[in-house]
Amino acid sequence: MGLLNYLTATSLDQDYAAASEHRRVRGESRRERPGTSALVILAVFGILIATAAVQTSRTADESATSHEELVKQVQARKAQLSARRERVDSLRSQTQTLETQYLAATAQGRSVQSRLTSLGIGTGADATRGPGVRVTVDDGPPISGGQNEIFDGDLQKLVNGLWLAGAEGIALNGERLTALTAIRQGGAVITVNFRPISPPYTLTAIGDPDTLAARLVDTPGGQWFLDLQALYGVEFDIANSEEPLTLPAARRSGLRYAHTPETLR
Amino acid sequence: MIAALGLVLGVFLGLLLQPEVPIWLQPYLPIAVVAALDAVFGALRAFLDGIFDDKVFVVSFVSNVLIAALIVYLGDQLGVGGQLSTGVIVVLGIRIFSNVAAIRRHLFHA
Repeated sequence: MGLLNYLTATSLDQDYAAASEHRRVRGESRRERPGTSALVILAVFGILIATAAVQTSRTADESATSHEELVKQVQARKAQLSARRERVDSLRSQTQTLETQYLAATAQGRSVQSRLTSLGIGTGADATRGPGVRVTVDDGPPISGGQNEIFDGDLQKLVNGLWLAGAEGIALNGERLTALTAIRQGGAVITVNFRPISPPYTLTAIGDPDTLAARLVDTPGGQWFLDLQALYGVEFDIANSEEPLTLPAARRSGLRYAHTPETLR
Repeated sequence: MIAALGLVLGVFLGLLLQPEVPIWLQPYLPIAVVAALDAVFGALRAFLDGIFDDKVFVVSFVSNVLIAALIVYLGDQLGVGGQLSTGVIVVLGIRIFSNVAAIRRHLFHA
């Protein structure tokens, strides 16, 4: 007999039938009405149910309270964090102002300041604004037996071409390129400064708007992409920017071993 | 009549006293309630069948509650408390359902 059938067939305790049969055989009087002991047991049952209900609602209250408490704590900490971030920002700008003031006070300081500015632009430490070109490249249409994708090496060639053509600052999909930038293939995606980017790839380069585009086409990087365009239908588009381009500052990576030489200090 | 009186009295007492359940007993309370429910429905069906017996009811109630709690306790000790609870609930649930079905047949003849 299946377990389920067994369960349904014996759902009534067989003891009831047995006891009643026993009584019938012995010819005892029928005791089929609940008596005092049934009353006691049902009272116990009532207490059990009431206790369980009270307990459950109490536990629910407690867990709700602790949940609210946690939410409150999280919100308080978030507010604290944003306040501290604001303080960091204001202190940073204060430092910058003081630095500028201090340097502007002396002739030597002024020369250091101008040197700092040009280094900041060159190294990508400061955000930069100026005229330039926007180069857009994208994967070509799929071809049989290949994916026809732009690889890290292609972008490296193109970036080197832009530097060669006289770019003073370059950003790739909003990531400023510096001397420490790596454009690498990480599996199927290309990473810049260890951040993944996806096509289309837009290079914004600041430089002489009259010559930058023309010189780029003459560099090996530009030639490489012209070939890719002709052979594989890869998108390659150079456009002079109408309005001045703004390049973000590079993410600061702490230099741990490199120092300015003593003679330049 | 006596049965309904006992039940009401019990619920009233429970709500009035609100006994504090010791923490080690708390996991067994819900399973004990389900086991008790099974015994009570069994008794109701027996009553309607005309074979109710006080002694059998008391014994089945107490043993149901104790055995259900014991099985879950044993499961907890063995690390399968959750699964055993589920098993107990399933078995008791099926029994409750079929008993209630029998009661329904008695009361409504349907």
